Amino acid sequence: MVIGVVVLLAGVGFFFASPSGKRSSGKPQDFSIREYRNDGSRMAVPGNRYLLEGRVENIETIGNSRIVAVSLKNNRNERLPLLVSKDTILKVNLTRKDSFLFEVECRTGRDSSGNEVKGILVVKNAESTK
Amino acid sequence: MKMRILTMLMSGLGCVAQAQMPVSPTPAPQPQPTAAPAQAAPAQPQLDISGAPANNPNAEPTNPKLLGMEIPMLDPSNDTISYNGGKFDVGNNAVVRAKFEAYLHGTPDTSEETRQYSKKIEKILKYVRGHYKSQQSIGSDALIQIGKTLYSLSEVPTDGQHAGTLASCIVNALDAQRANRTRRIENARINKELDSLARTTNNLNKSKSTNNSFLVAYNTKKIAQGQADQAKNAATNVQSELAAKVSYQSNMVNFLFMRRYDHAVIASRVYRHVFHDGDNTMKIEKDSKADQFLKSTTGLPPTVNTVDTLANEARTSVDKHMEAVHSMLAQNKLGAATQHLIEAVAIGEHMISVLTFPVEGRRRVAEYWTLRKRALSALNARDYAMVDQIAAKMKALDVEFDDSMLLSYSAGKKRQSDLCIRNARKALMAGDDEEFNRCITEAGTIWPLNPNLDASAKHLEAFDNNSSVLAEFRTLFARKEYRTIFKEQERFECVAVDPELKAQYKEVILVISTIDAMLKQLESVAEQDRVMGPCIAYEKLVEYSTTEPRCVDDPGYKDALNLYAQKAHDFVQALRDAEECEKRHEFGSALANYYRALCLYPKSTLAGQGASKVSDIIVKAQY
Repeated sequence: MVIGVVVLLAGVGFFFASPSGKRSSGKPQDFSIREYRNDGSRMAVPGNRYLLEGRVENIETIGNSRIVAVSLKNNRNERLPLLVSKDTILKVNLTRKDSFLFEVECRTGRDSSGNEVKGILVVKNAESTK
Repeated sequence: MKMRILTMLMSGLGCVAQAQMPVSPTPAPQPQPTAAPAQAAPAQPQLDISGAPANNPNAEPTNPKLLGMEIPMLDPSNDTISYNGGKFDVGNNAVVRAKFEAYLHGTPDTSEETRQYSKKIEKILKYVRGHYKSQQSIGSDALIQIGKTLYSLSEVPTDGQHAGTLASCIVNALDAQRANRTRRIENARINKELDSLARTTNNLNKSKSTNNSFLVAYNTKKIAQGQADQAKNAATNVQSELAAKVSYQSNMVNFLFMRRYDHAVIASRVYRHVFHDGDNTMKIEKDSKADQFLKSTTGLPPTVNTVDTLANEARTSVDKHMEAVHSMLAQNKLGAATQHLIEAVAIGEHMISVLTFPVEGRRRVAEYWTLRKRALSALNARDYAMVDQIAAKMKALDVEFDDSMLLSYSAGKKRQSDLCIRNARKALMAGDDEEFNRCITEAGTIWPLNPNLDASAKHLEAFDNNSSVLAEFRTLFARKEYRTIFKEQERFECVAVDPELKAQYKEVILVISTIDAMLKQLESVAEQDRVMGPCIAYEKLVEYSTTEPRCVDDPGYKDALNLYAQKAHDFVQALRDAEECEKRHEFGSALANYYRALCLYPKSTLAGQGASKVSDIIVKAQY
């Protein structure tokens, strides 16, 4: 019985501590682009989710996908690349020089040859900060 | 007039003229300009400073001849004398030079004895000049007094015994006149005696006595004898007069030729007071050389006055030259002063004004003259560097000295020699020994002291030792030590004898030259913009290594790459991190690094290309 209760609590706890919800607490998080650059494997653990507030500095459209270069509040001299996949439909229109609240998830993909494409921050959602 | 005086001088000196003019027209080994180019017209290229005759004697008119010798003719336009078909610069002739230098280095004759001599000669000249104007006759006593004075002057060293000769002439002429007068008195006495005998004989014939026949015959014989004596005396007078005149005139012309103009003037002006017959014609053989010479001055039969005129003109000319010398020296025009002094000495070295020219003036002229002589020597020796130095010194001494001809001639020869050396180097590179030797010999002939000849000698040495150099080149090229070859490119020029090595040599020189030029340009860029400049320089160097992979072995290139990598540390680090991330397939981080590099240098091609490549991978991947 006791064991059953512990397992149930653990299961509920695991549910609430899943990657999608682990760091999406509704407030923008501190994210170090420098650390991401230097040690991407530690920062970009697949499945990690982040809520980032950043200003769009550049948007590069390739096919139907976009790569958005975002500068964060804590360091305007760095640019963080975020992938807006062709399958993602955002509620807002991303425009340059505007700030948004991005909900991103770290993913590892595979190219056509089957090689890994690690540490990609994929935009899941975005909201305007205005 | 000047021409006539110098003509007379050169011909009258006889042996001097013979010595002054080179008899054999040996052509000079190489055409040279005159020693004083400022004074020699450029339009006279046939003028030879060595004194050799010109190459085109036929173009010149034939000079008159005297005493079997051609008379040198002075061309006042360029101070050259035509002789024996050649042209000579008076200032360059060896004998004239020697006499002029002796004069310059001699001390002026300012002794009291010479001063007194000058005074007495002037006094005599004034006396005879006075009687010449007034047409009054100079008595025998006065002539004897002049003779005595001249005898006393002959002891003065300056005179050279010529006054004694003149005195002897006058005395001999007077003696001859006296003897003639005695014979004329004797003839008068004989005439009276003959008259008396004639009257006596006439009376004896009238008396018709037979006893008188012997006396008549005796008188007749005596009359005939007297008449014979008279005729003999008259003939002796004529002969004696002629001999005296010839002797006197001969000495008079001699004085002129010996440039003893004072003596010539005194002799000519005393002449009519010694010989009273009014005959002034020169008793010289018709159409003889001397006759032709004196005729050539006026075209008329020569007279005693001709000698007087020539001597006076010479005196005047010398005095004018000496005045000009003093004036030119005062204006620091040493070239003109020297020229006037040469002519004054050449025409009248025995004139008092020339003899007493002060030491200071002689020293200044000697200094300029020595430079002029050294310029001539330097030109003959083809030492053109020395020619330039001397020209500068002459210019400093003489405000009017025109150094353009010396300098342009010197510069032309130097360039000609350098061109030959250049051709020799080309021949060396082409492996043409024969052409190399010919060009080097020509360069040395034109300018023996050309400093570039030493460098050529080194090339030649390298050429001789080329087998070891070729081996060394091959080793360096195989090791890609291009900069070592570049640094010693002159030593390795000889590898051109091998076409393959020649191509490699050219390649090395081109590669390193291009790198050096690029490094210099990048240095300037990095200096102008200290923030982005090093980024630009680094990126250019990296880009260049893709087009010219051999540059990565060059120490110069490597040093520069390290330098700019250090200066653009953040930019370079971002690029390197991006590459590392790519290797680990961490393309998100790689792209962030490229973005970082673009933030530091927005125009970066490397970062732009990297970002584009990685973006493409990211977008095309399946997640």
